[in-house]
Amino acid sequence: CTIGSAGLLQIRHFGERIMNQSGLHARGRDMFGLCCLPGECVLQRAVLVRKKLSPKEGGGWLSGTLFCTHFRVAFVPQDSPRADDNADPVLLGDHDVALASIEKVVAVGPSRTKLVTPNSSLKFTPEELVLYCRDLQVLCFLFDRLTPDTQAVEITYTIAKTYQPLKPGTILSFQNAALGSIEMKQFLSNRRRDPGMNWFESSADWEQELERTGATGWRVSSVNDRFEMSTSLSRFNVVPQKVLDTELKKTFAHFNEGRIPRWCWRHPRGSDLLRMASFQNNIYHEKDDIRNLELILFGGQPQCVVVDLGEEMPSPADLQLAHTRLRALCLGDISSSVSVPDDKWLSTLEGTHWLDYIRCCLRKAAEVACLLRRGHLTVVLQESEDRDMNCVVSSLVQVMCDPHCRTVAGFQGLVQKEWVMAGHRFLSRINYHRDSDKEEAPIFLLFLDCVWQLWAQFPARFQLTENYLLALHDSLHLPLFSTFLANCQRERCRRSQHLPQSYTPVNGLRELPRGSAEEPVDPPYPPYPPVWDWSLQYSGQRRALFSQPVCQPCSPVPVLNGNLNTNTNMEPNWVSDGVPGSVFLLSRSSFSCPSNLLPWRSGSGSGSYRKSHRRAPSSESLPALERLIKACGQPDAPQDFHDPHQPLIPLLLGPCIRIWRNCYLRGALHAQAFTHPMSSNSRHPVERLASEVEHLRERLAQASTGRPSNRKRHEHRRLDSNLNQNANNGTFLFSSSSSSSSSSSSSSSSSSSSSSRTSQQESPCRVSGRPPTAPRYRDGGGKHTFLFGHQGEPQGSQRYAPSPSAKLPKNSGPQLN
Amino acid sequence: MLSLGGGGAKSTKPSFVSYVTPEVLSPRLDWEDFDEERNPVLKHTQDDLSQRGIFGTLLCTNFRVSFVSDETPLEEMTQHFKNKLYGENDIPLMCVDNIYGVYDEKKKLITKGMLKNKCPSKMIIHCKDLRVFQFCLTYTKEEDAKKIFQGIAHHCLEPKSLKCVFAFSYAASSSPEVQRSQRTVMFDSKEDWTQEMKRTKANLRIVGYNFWMKYGCAMFKASTLPVPQEDGLMQGYMERMLHAVAHTHLYSLKLEDLSETLPTIQDIQQSYNKFKQFFLIDNSTDFWVSDVKWFSTLENTGWLDIIRQCLQKAVEVVECLEKENTNVLIMEEEGSDLCCVISSLVQIMLDPHFRTLTGFQGLVQKEWVAGCHAFLDRCNHLYQKDKECHSPSPVFLLFLECVWQMVQQHSPAFQFSETYLTVLSDSIHVPIFSTFLFNSAYQRESTMKAEAQHLQRGPLNCPAVWDWSVQFDCKAQELFINPLYADKLKQDKAIRKVPRAKHQRQLSLPSSAFKTPPKKGFFKDETESLKKMLRVKRISRWMASPDSPAAATREFYETWQRRPLDYHGLLLPCLDGPAMRLWMQRYLRWIPEVQILGGGPVAITSMLAELLSQVQDLRRELDMRSCWETEAESLQLRPGPLALTRTSLRLSSSFPFASNRNWTFKPAIPTSLLQSLMVTDRLASQEDETNEVISLV
Repeated sequence: CTIGSAGLLQIRHFGERIMNQSGLHARGRDMFGLCCLPGECVLQRAVLVRKKLSPKEGGGWLSGTLFCTHFRVAFVPQDSPRADDNADPVLLGDHDVALASIEKVVAVGPSRTKLVTPNSSLKFTPEELVLYCRDLQVLCFLFDRLTPDTQAVEITYTIAKTYQPLKPGTILSFQNAALGSIEMKQFLSNRRRDPGMNWFESSADWEQELERTGATGWRVSSVNDRFEMSTSLSRFNVVPQKVLDTELKKTFAHFNEGRIPRWCWRHPRGSDLLRMASFQNNIYHEKDDIRNLELILFGGQPQCVVVDLGEEMPSPADLQLAHTRLRALCLGDISSSVSVPDDKWLSTLEGTHWLDYIRCCLRKAAEVACLLRRGHLTVVLQESEDRDMNCVVSSLVQVMCDPHCRTVAGFQGLVQKEWVMAGHRFLSRINYHRDSDKEEAPIFLLFLDCVWQLWAQFPARFQLTENYLLALHDSLHLPLFSTFLANCQRERCRRSQHLPQSYTPVNGLRELPRGSAEEPVDPPYPPYPPVWDWSLQYSGQRRALFSQPVCQPCSPVPVLNGNLNTNTNMEPNWVSDGVPGSVFLLSRSSFSCPSNLLPWRSGSGSGSYRKSHRRAPSSESLPALERLIKACGQPDAPQDFHDPHQPLIPLLLGPCIRIWRNCYLRGALHAQAFTHPMSSNSRHPVERLASEVEHLRERLAQASTGRPSNRKRHEHRRLDSNLNQNANNGTFLFSSSSSSSSSSSSSSSSSSSSSSRTSQQESPCRVSGRPPTAPRYRDGGGKHTFLFGHQGEPQGSQRYAPSPSAKLPKNSGPQLN
Repeated sequence: MLSLGGGGAKSTKPSFVSYVTPEVLSPRLDWEDFDEERNPVLKHTQDDLSQRGIFGTLLCTNFRVSFVSDETPLEEMTQHFKNKLYGENDIPLMCVDNIYGVYDEKKKLITKGMLKNKCPSKMIIHCKDLRVFQFCLTYTKEEDAKKIFQGIAHHCLEPKSLKCVFAFSYAASSSPEVQRSQRTVMFDSKEDWTQEMKRTKANLRIVGYNFWMKYGCAMFKASTLPVPQEDGLMQGYMERMLHAVAHTHLYSLKLEDLSETLPTIQDIQQSYNKFKQFFLIDNSTDFWVSDVKWFSTLENTGWLDIIRQCLQKAVEVVECLEKENTNVLIMEEEGSDLCCVISSLVQIMLDPHFRTLTGFQGLVQKEWVAGCHAFLDRCNHLYQKDKECHSPSPVFLLFLECVWQMVQQHSPAFQFSETYLTVLSDSIHVPIFSTFLFNSAYQRESTMKAEAQHLQRGPLNCPAVWDWSVQFDCKAQELFINPLYADKLKQDKAIRKVPRAKHQRQLSLPSSAFKTPPKKGFFKDETESLKKMLRVKRISRWMASPDSPAAATREFYETWQRRPLDYHGLLLPCLDGPAMRLWMQRYLRWIPEVQILGGGPVAITSMLAELLSQVQDLRRELDMRSCWETEAESLQLRPGPLALTRTSLRLSSSFPFASNRNWTFKPAIPTSLLQSLMVTDRLASQEDETNEVISLV
């Protein structure tokens, strides 16, 4: 019950603090025990309230005080220690809920329940207050007999009046309540971005990605730097080296919204993933244009497969309907007595089609992933607008194939690359302002669910955890983050900068403008932080749950650096069976070569170009492609099981696609009492064991040095991991101790003998390092690769390296200390 | 007990003619008699996409149908979990569920009457453990094919007498050193019962229980006497006993008639038959097709709902026992089907002892074996077709399903693992264990005695199923243990003594006495009169509309839920719609399409095992340096299953079953694509395709 404030202790300060601490205190940062944000004031308070804890939090009840402020409904457990006044503000404590994410307020009286709206009046004293949230959480507060009746009634009224049903007007006042104070603005503008992830905002970021994946033949073009060519694309796009910017400019007109084929990712076997919008019809194809279009599409590869995502994938409207139904099914609602009987639950679930849509996306992504394994082709995802399903599929492909994208930092980079920069219409799709009801569709949620399915099937091969996905899921419903508050990068830039469109900082948008806070005139919007700044929302312990406790040295890809090693182990006829320059269409899971696939090739006027390639290329190479996809479905040879770079091909059959219980069903516990609490003092065994291993290793180091070194540090660490207990959710925990343990062992090693050096060397990779007594593991080599790891190295070094180091994955990763 | 082929030839009857040299055979039980064998037979792998198969010999013994591959088997590295009695390609005769013959591309169920018909071109055998075998007989000489077909069909479909069951020849020939599992309380002696009473009795209320148990024990003993005729006497017993109970607890006894609220055993059988059809798949295409409507078809079978109802009923009984402190008398027409299910479930929920491996085995002995569940009839071991008096029904499996649901939901509370339950459910159909062979203890003793006389030997020694060493070696047995089991800490015991006193007021009816009277419905009549006699007030809400129990138990749940979960205290399952899950390991393990390679829950388990072994290595190291002082905070650890520690990504989600199928063809790519591929695939030549596959990997 001490999570919130203890977490505050742990947050480190980044950057210099301008805030006057005493001034903060004077502003009532700590009101009645509630640690307020600057400028936040408590509207109503009820004492002796009990909060029902979800099984994830340990179950049972927690008593404390309930607050309602302009920004949130906060709950402070009774004996939580006083917060440190110097700590950075955290938007939401562990038991809090933002007003903007509340969807419904229900008061439960002695004999009745009532949906409380801003205008309604209560005729009874509520015994229980149930808050239904947009992110499918349900919070339940129980008023004690000792709670003054007026307090119970008043706080219910207050919440009902102040929670803002999302409307264009209210959302801004909510944002201002959270972020609008001067202190908050200063604080946010001084926050440094997470350097561990790739933001894809500058051309250097893109180059880094090209380098990481080993892609050659591509360059970063800044032709769209001022959003003149395409308003929805990002400033920088990756195009083939052979195409000059002047040539490139002419191609924009050939695509819907100017969304030309852009490079997304290179498969280690050397094929490239691209995405584009549909072709513009009614446009004359000049000869030069055709050459450039072909160049862009093929990008130096001999063949090209266009994957059409338009027809088979669910439409946004379908998704919206399915999600609405799913919500209704999962969120047992006590205010409406209609509920699905238990024995009809499964068929109702099937009737929502949500799982079908998930399957559909995963299937498409799996096909593309198999296709990419072949090498020597570009796979171009095509969707009419290139802003919805293309995002889903291209990022899923990368999650399946690229272990880096299964780490927290890599995943965040992926979302930046394929969603934020690529111009997914977050604002319209989430519909924060309730002004785009027709466009609303949970496309990003679909993507998260797909990733969860992969995680559920291959939990050991992800570094990120279900908790992380849940956090992202929940943040999407909070209209505070720049990531989700715009439809494209252009909007984002304009809003955050208030600079003329033509002005561009030299180094891209790396830094948020420091100057804005100093400006005397406040911008109309508060500065929105990116969602990736997790410490704004989550305490240290909860952030620690975002990644797995055990990590594996992430060995670099064993083979293939770019075009140099072009799959000599692949059969030559794979390469030769297709005529260079042939284009295939992958649609409805089969390949074809429709003559009108590329409009410039079908037109009679341009027929002169590459005529030879228009002869039916299908006859021999189509079955080969199909067999490729088919063959990829089967497990490879035994030795390939040890390959951590084996793509995750999910199983899609009925029993394998499941419902994301911890997300969709977490709210149902209040309506249906049949959930079991987990004992709050037991952590997940993996975590317990991981910390035990570390503990033992430390003791071993101590024993071998013969002196009780840094005992104090050690105890401090144990304390930390004890704190972890409260926030257990039954999946993986990351003990908050990794940094301290490595530092402690490094500090002890200064005067240590050689044997302690051994253990010290092993400590960076924590659990996966072998104890010296177990040499039999050493020759196991790759056998231990299920322990997933992301090296804590700075950006830039996560590239594919040549093969020799793959034989000794243990030593290949750079050491942490 | 095991011998290689050379030894196997010794004990075969002189009439046996072997077509293969014994050395070719896999290790086999040396007391088997060979009945038929023919070669060559083509066995298909499960997908019929590639039409691939393995040539080999099909044998039929009095224990099993066995297929011996002509190919040299792969190295044994994948066999972590080998059953000693029968291998991957063997089907114990009792395990055969249905046999289908394929005549001109049409699949027909083979029944007794069809034996004389012409031999099918392909034989499909569905097993009770949900394996499916396809044997192609077209390459066999016709008369051989006919013989093997008729032989197998005869052994599997004809009703037979109990005497013919393999267990007796097994027991007769197996060495007497087959030791009884000493740890499992067998409840076949008075001492065991007294022991159990000692374990459970704590306060005055239990006196009735003891009383009851004494009577139960007495009746149990009585029924094993070879004089089964005295109806009147039994009735007398019954009345006296109930009076005794009534006198001690007249005000606190509740009567629960299961036959009114739970599905009948026929319903259970029907539902299970529908349910299992999903998993008995002849080829992958069937599975792809069934995939589309997966959830609704699953739901339509009603199997999950039956599980839910049983758990629900058990929870209601627990509520009575726990909250209202009343005794509950569970009644059923025969008192040995759902009574066993409910009473065992209640005891698992209440008593942590029954969540340990030995405790669970003891519970099955007590409630099912000593409680005279009619295993022989319910499992239909003898292929009796008259449904009249032997209605087969997977009641015990239903119980295991319910336990599995609880294991799923509260895995740290159980010492045994999912694998254990799966193996136990398989063992029902291995005709060696005395546990599952008889309708009652009386039948067991009398049959054994008769058989022993017949064979002119000393007392026969049938192993109980709990003697796992008969089936698995020690390494495989490690997989039965749940590595995450939250062991009870020593110091906790003292604290928890007081609340634990409330355990075990469960009454069940050891109904062996009532089995013997031939007239049907005896017990039902008795129930009515008993109700009047005892003036037991019915629990009103149980009689009311079906909705009300849920509402009533909900309150009970809420109170339970508010307390922190204690894995060694009362444990209740969730029952809502999404909580009832499919027992993936049991039902999907043989279907390669749904095996996740390098994923699934086993990935976590192997990670744990790895960590466990590291912890142990480190501790040993510390021990060696003698600087290890025991700390209170250190974890309680048991060794994890070794089989898991040194493997990694290669384990499939169906581990430890079907391990050698990892390298067979497994299309993981989606339905529609596969279907479209099947068309094109026919065009591509077989040879070409295998080349491609090899080249890719």
